[in-house]
Amino acid sequence: MGLDFTIIAKNWDYFLWGRTPQGEVGGLLLTVLMALAAGTLSLVLGIGLALASWLGPRSLRTVLTFLADLVRSIPLLLVIFWIYFLVPALFRTTVPGALSVILALAWFSSGAVMHTTLAGLDALPRGYREAGIASGLSEGQVFTAILLPQALRNLVPSYVALFASMIKDTSLAFILNVPELTMTANQVNTRAQIYPAEIFLFTAAVYFVLCAGLSWAAHGLAFRLRPGRVAL
Amino acid sequence: MGLSIDWSGVLTGQPLHWLLSGLVVTLAITLVASGIATAIAVGLTALRLSPVTPVRLATQAGISLIRNTPLLIQLLVWYFVGFGLLPPALKAWMTGDHPWSVLPGQVSLFAPEFAASAWGVGLFIGVFLSEELQAGLNAVAPGQREAAASQGLSRWDTLASILLPQALRNAYQPVVGQYLNLMKLTSITCSIGLAEITYQARQVESFNSHAFEAFAVATLLYLAIGFILERLLLAGRRA
Repeated sequence: MGLDFTIIAKNWDYFLWGRTPQGEVGGLLLTVLMALAAGTLSLVLGIGLALASWLGPRSLRTVLTFLADLVRSIPLLLVIFWIYFLVPALFRTTVPGALSVILALAWFSSGAVMHTTLAGLDALPRGYREAGIASGLSEGQVFTAILLPQALRNLVPSYVALFASMIKDTSLAFILNVPELTMTANQVNTRAQIYPAEIFLFTAAVYFVLCAGLSWAAHGLAFRLRPGRVAL
Repeated sequence: MGLSIDWSGVLTGQPLHWLLSGLVVTLAITLVASGIATAIAVGLTALRLSPVTPVRLATQAGISLIRNTPLLIQLLVWYFVGFGLLPPALKAWMTGDHPWSVLPGQVSLFAPEFAASAWGVGLFIGVFLSEELQAGLNAVAPGQREAAASQGLSRWDTLASILLPQALRNAYQPVVGQYLNLMKLTSITCSIGLAEITYQARQVESFNSHAFEAFAVATLLYLAIGFILERLLLAGRRA
């Protein structure tokens, strides 16, 4: 099978930013923007939830874990639907497709961020907290000044890995016709008809470079941040 | 637009038929893809233990490709590109009529969409399963492998009867998680036209606009399948 990549050369700008010059952000640019927005949201939400369940009563942790697990036992595609159809019904306002996907990804992933953060906190030696209390710090001060900074430092590689899988999950936006990278590729494929191999292999390569690059960076970070190494 | 709920819009007539056949398709694709995933995971684990360095490197590269691209793109590649590369006779058979696989609502279960989906989801989860098995394998003492070799067991026998059972015991919980993940990921196959639960919920929605009811039923079906599957797999550990 001969591959003819001129279809990519002719449409490279469309793959990269879609119809952005016409005022509709799209292509790889939209993929990255959606992942960044959802990533930031779920990081803030997830760490917030982890704080609440770490500092709050035992029952709160049980409830939050249950809720996080409940969202994760539904396919992400359905979570996207729920937001897209339910928010307008409940709040009498429409939500753009891209925003629905961002909210769904943030909701879906903040549970994972919470679990990861709690695991990072659980992994710290008990002596840290005890030493803090013995030095006269309050429970809250011990948490914000001693435990959280150390846990977060250890957790950076895990967060990067979660972000890589978030980039892959933005492809599910096709279901709402959001013109991100996968949808853009689909459009070019429908228009050209005879180059599916070139188009989808190229798209796969773009995702691969992004995600493999990130996991490579995560490995590097894990190595640099490994316990026992003195921070620069 | 307020929220008025009317279950008869989804639980009677044509919509009910669609959702039921969607349920059957989801169960079928989950079953077939799980079989494929299991075979691929075992195969990859064997390849990773190969004494030939290029084999190990190629296996690692393939795993990295699957892990770092979205399942959706992989499904599009298998459906639009992979299917075209099959021998013509096989293609003709796959696209032909299969009266034995017609479900209520005039849905044909076996079609190229089903084959591409089963293979695509199976391969994707197979790779993640092999990563879990690898983690489980790393926790098996090296002496186990050496002892098996000194008993004269072949490498395949060592893997199948000594190493894998222990790796599976070490990684049981994450392995169960991957099979549950597989079941949920079958929802993405609606993108290449497989008429499973999510596809049918969308069809009901465009048929009579009962979006809330249709997605509620779909969500409950996924929760129920996941609940039962998890109980079955966890019972398997005790057996």
